Amino acid sequence: MDVDLLAQAAVSGLLIGGLYATMAMGISLSWGALKIINLAHFTFILLGAYLTYQLTTTFGIDPFLMIVVVFPLFFVAGALLQVFFEWAKVDEFRSLLISFGLFIIFTSLVRTVWTADFRRISSEDNPYASASIFIGGVALQVPLIAAFIAAVVIAVGTSLALSHTHFGRAVRAVVQDAEMARAFGIDPRRVAVILSGLATAYSGLAGVFIAMFQVLSPTMTFAWFGIVFSVVILGGLGSPYGALGAGIIVGVVAGVASVVWGPLSAPLVTFLLLIAALLFRPSGLFRRSPA
Amino acid sequence: MTARTKTLLGFAIVAVVLGLVPNVVEVLDAPGFYLTFLFTMFFWISQSSSWNILTGYSGYFSFGQGAWFGIGVYTTGILATKHGWPFLVALPVAGLVAGAAGLLLGLVVFRLRRLSGEIFALTTLAVSFVLASVARLTSLIDGGRGIFMTGTPLPEFLGDFRTSMYRMTLVIALLTVLTAYLIFESRLGWGLFSIRDDEEVARGLGVPTFRYKMTALGTNAFFGALMGGVWALQIGFVTVEDVFNIRVPLLVILMAVLGGMRHWMGPVVGAAIIYTLTDRLNSAGLADVNQVIIGALLIVMVLGVREGIYLRIRARWIASGVIFFGAMAALTVFDLTSSLIWDFSYALLITMAMLLIPTPLWERLTRSRITAPPSDRPPEQPVPSKTAGT
Amino acid sequence: MRRERGIVPRFLILLAVFALVAAACSSSDDTTTTAAAAAATTTTAAEAATTTTSESSSEPIVVGGSLALTGFLAPTAAIHKVAGDLFVETLNESGGLLGRPVVWEPLDDESVPDQAAAIYERVISEDGVDLIMGPYGTGTITAAMAVAEREGFVYPHHTASLTYVYTYACHFPTWPTGIETNITNPNLVYDALEESGNPPETIAFVMNEFPGTQYIGYGPPGSDAGGAISEAEKRGWDVVAEINFPTGTSDWAPIAAEIAAADPDFIYVGAIGVDGTNLLVALDAIGYVPRGHFYQWPAPGPLLGAPNSEGAFSVTTFEPHSPFTDAAEPAAISEAFSTAAAAAGIPYTAFEAQASVSWAAWQVLIAGVEGAGSLDQQEICDWLINNEVETIIGTIDFDPAQQNYYGDLTKIKQIQNGQFVVVSPSEFAAPGAEPQL
Repeated sequence: MDVDLLAQAAVSGLLIGGLYATMAMGISLSWGALKIINLAHFTFILLGAYLTYQLTTTFGIDPFLMIVVVFPLFFVAGALLQVFFEWAKVDEFRSLLISFGLFIIFTSLVRTVWTADFRRISSEDNPYASASIFIGGVALQVPLIAAFIAAVVIAVGTSLALSHTHFGRAVRAVVQDAEMARAFGIDPRRVAVILSGLATAYSGLAGVFIAMFQVLSPTMTFAWFGIVFSVVILGGLGSPYGALGAGIIVGVVAGVASVVWGPLSAPLVTFLLLIAALLFRPSGLFRRSPA
Repeated sequence: MTARTKTLLGFAIVAVVLGLVPNVVEVLDAPGFYLTFLFTMFFWISQSSSWNILTGYSGYFSFGQGAWFGIGVYTTGILATKHGWPFLVALPVAGLVAGAAGLLLGLVVFRLRRLSGEIFALTTLAVSFVLASVARLTSLIDGGRGIFMTGTPLPEFLGDFRTSMYRMTLVIALLTVLTAYLIFESRLGWGLFSIRDDEEVARGLGVPTFRYKMTALGTNAFFGALMGGVWALQIGFVTVEDVFNIRVPLLVILMAVLGGMRHWMGPVVGAAIIYTLTDRLNSAGLADVNQVIIGALLIVMVLGVREGIYLRIRARWIASGVIFFGAMAALTVFDLTSSLIWDFSYALLITMAMLLIPTPLWERLTRSRITAPPSDRPPEQPVPSKTAGT
Repeated sequence: MRRERGIVPRFLILLAVFALVAAACSSSDDTTTTAAAAAATTTTAAEAATTTTSESSSEPIVVGGSLALTGFLAPTAAIHKVAGDLFVETLNESGGLLGRPVVWEPLDDESVPDQAAAIYERVISEDGVDLIMGPYGTGTITAAMAVAEREGFVYPHHTASLTYVYTYACHFPTWPTGIETNITNPNLVYDALEESGNPPETIAFVMNEFPGTQYIGYGPPGSDAGGAISEAEKRGWDVVAEINFPTGTSDWAPIAAEIAAADPDFIYVGAIGVDGTNLLVALDAIGYVPRGHFYQWPAPGPLLGAPNSEGAFSVTTFEPHSPFTDAAEPAAISEAFSTAAAAAGIPYTAFEAQASVSWAAWQVLIAGVEGAGSLDQQEICDWLINNEVETIIGTIDFDPAQQNYYGDLTKIKQIQNGQFVVVSPSEFAAPGAEPQL
């Protein structure tokens, strides 16, 4: 087996793993900390991608600038969504169904506005699609580098926030026992709203990177289910480092399996890894045992 | 006559009446699509009922109905086409294969006591993924080529294709719902409900939790595959994409939750309503708006009827009966729409509107205090409420 | 202690009895409804009038069917919606069919085969349509064909790639690759490569696991006829890589790396949709420029915009340039389609392969009805089998000995100077255009 080939597959897998991590972060945080299984995150990723497509195409904005646009916008959207969920007072099942309803609605909206046909940011508006930095003969695709860096920043940032800030402590308190937290003066609602805003912003961000190198269509979300849930399972619910690590593992394993046994084997290897992880470390590869 | 006898009698009557529908349709020269409509409804009733036996009763949230469905479709497909087995023999074998797979999964997963509800859900999802990728990989199963089910011979006594599908799905749906009912009324059911409430306590009370959960899982898998096998014929050309996707697992959750997971009739009602509404919306031809309406309807129904539609019907059964049958009668007799299915769906919508009236308002309107449905169970709790290990 | 109050069985009995009664009442009403001329009120666009013989000539002829308006097949199905709508509109403007206007409102099968089957059942038996047109995509077409066969309806369809499977006597395909697609199609490509004067010595195959592309690559399952790969070997070309990938692949870097390592003269990509575009982006990212490449059934718009797509070959049945647009009618259709597609918001508006096979399917249907002079399905079927039909993709002579297929009408096109031009066979090539390798 060609070492260069393996190296390239592993490195690309590492980088795209960062993207996977960003894609999964929103759902993982939502499910782990908010106890809401939020399928709408897939459409948030989609919306982030389409928004990037539209604004870069219409106004010629550099796609990287879209990060600055998308993050706050989606934060607000996520916050509002959580306000709705708080009002609705739903359990996990129902949150799944409501978010499924939102998923359908948002997908439909995307299809109505941009049609079902394929869309791709033109090379004039997006010079980064296949741009790469070469290190030692191995190519690192620019959008993926960006996604990877973003994933690391998000994972580290969120993790530090959770462990070192007042807000983070509040989140952990609420997750453990909302009533008790309230007794200590923490407003679980406010905590939840901010957390949801962050989670949604992460998803939108993932969409920006996707728009930088992929072709968009309203139903591309269906291809993401397998990957995102794999990362969520491996990483453990609500763990930012977990999501990052899991994303990298999934990316690298799939990439290497692709060149060693062929691309058809990649999903199987990934999912078997999943099953193994579930059996031996059910709460995620990176979580300490649950409190 | 005990309540149990009455219910079983009810089943028998329903079976006979529904069993005669194909003959009635033929004699009255009614559109054959009525049979397709009904047998698709039976498909969903069976899938959501079998799912509910595990998730609704025991509280173990399964995201994996697609796995059993897929095993059913592919096992039947392979046995019937590549090995020439008679279809009616391949079908129960498919069910048993899935049942065995379910038991195998349970063996592994239920032994790990620290498996929380969420993790169980994700595990079942992962199982679907694994099955899909295995199917894709080997041409013994699919290998990317798909399986052609059209032209699979069916026994003559079942009638033509549509009638055969109708009869097979009817039998399986009846069996599934009957099983759900019998479990509901049995010690097994009671045990499952106690597991749902608090597994540690149940275990402490002497409930054989492992055995009961295995039974529920195995039953779920068996019926999911049995109906899946029949459905392979409707799909016509079976491919991994069409079979192992999120549609079946998500929709059964939808139907059971909306109908009510605490009662064996819940999924039946939920499946009937969701399927009818989506079918008619599709038939109305407004593809995009259709999707938005479905999404919005979903949210409204989930928020509006917490305990599940079936229990709400039970609480307002007089009004439900009067409105539904009255509307049906009026629409049918005065020939207001072009088909019986439209009559049915409008009647359903009107009844749903009534059911969505929030309980406080309803009580004020009817100047009654609705007694809670006879149950010593506390009101709907967040599920999964698994505390073991988390 | 649970106590069943017995309401449920009461309920069930009531329901059951009522069901019978209602069925009896309404069915007799239904027969009166369907017999009368559009007196029944309907609230839907899809359900239109009736099919009895005693109606006036202004009663529209209803063509029923479905399309993947949503779901993973939707991107390309959007083109078929525009093509079909335009055809019907044009037809109605020139007097309609048998002097009557035609109505076509495809329902959404959501790219799900069993849904497609149910829709065709519904439109045939509940709505009582006069004719049907097939949906988009192999899966849904196959599922609905079974319904058409059971109901005895003529079944024109345009995009079913597993040609060898279809045996229904009255199915009429305008996917013109013939019953030996796995042999004829790749050879058309290879002939073009030889015509360039510089055929490859080494070739790599990258095949989507989709049944249609697998059929082309390897032939029908269980047969040893072979396909694109074995046909390449027969020409003495060296197969240096054979990569099969899952349909939903998102990470193309490993595949690109493998191709770069194998460094073939030519890459045959069994691609559907945006596979080709994704591959080119990934190849460019690792700094590899393909020397020669072919894409089976790509979405043309994104492929044109992909890096290093210049020189990419593909297949087609029509391209909006000479000689296809030499005659006035195809030229007019091509223009009208581009306008309509733009109005519908579709990014790539050229009237090419997908739109042309759709158009041809409609031409077949109309020719059959007009030829038979009636809406009787058997008469239409007989006429189509026994007569040739002139379509925008060529003259079609359905051959029952070939399961109603008629050889391979595929043309080979290539991206030259940023546009797709047909390069082979030479009688269809754009003026002065040749395959370039």
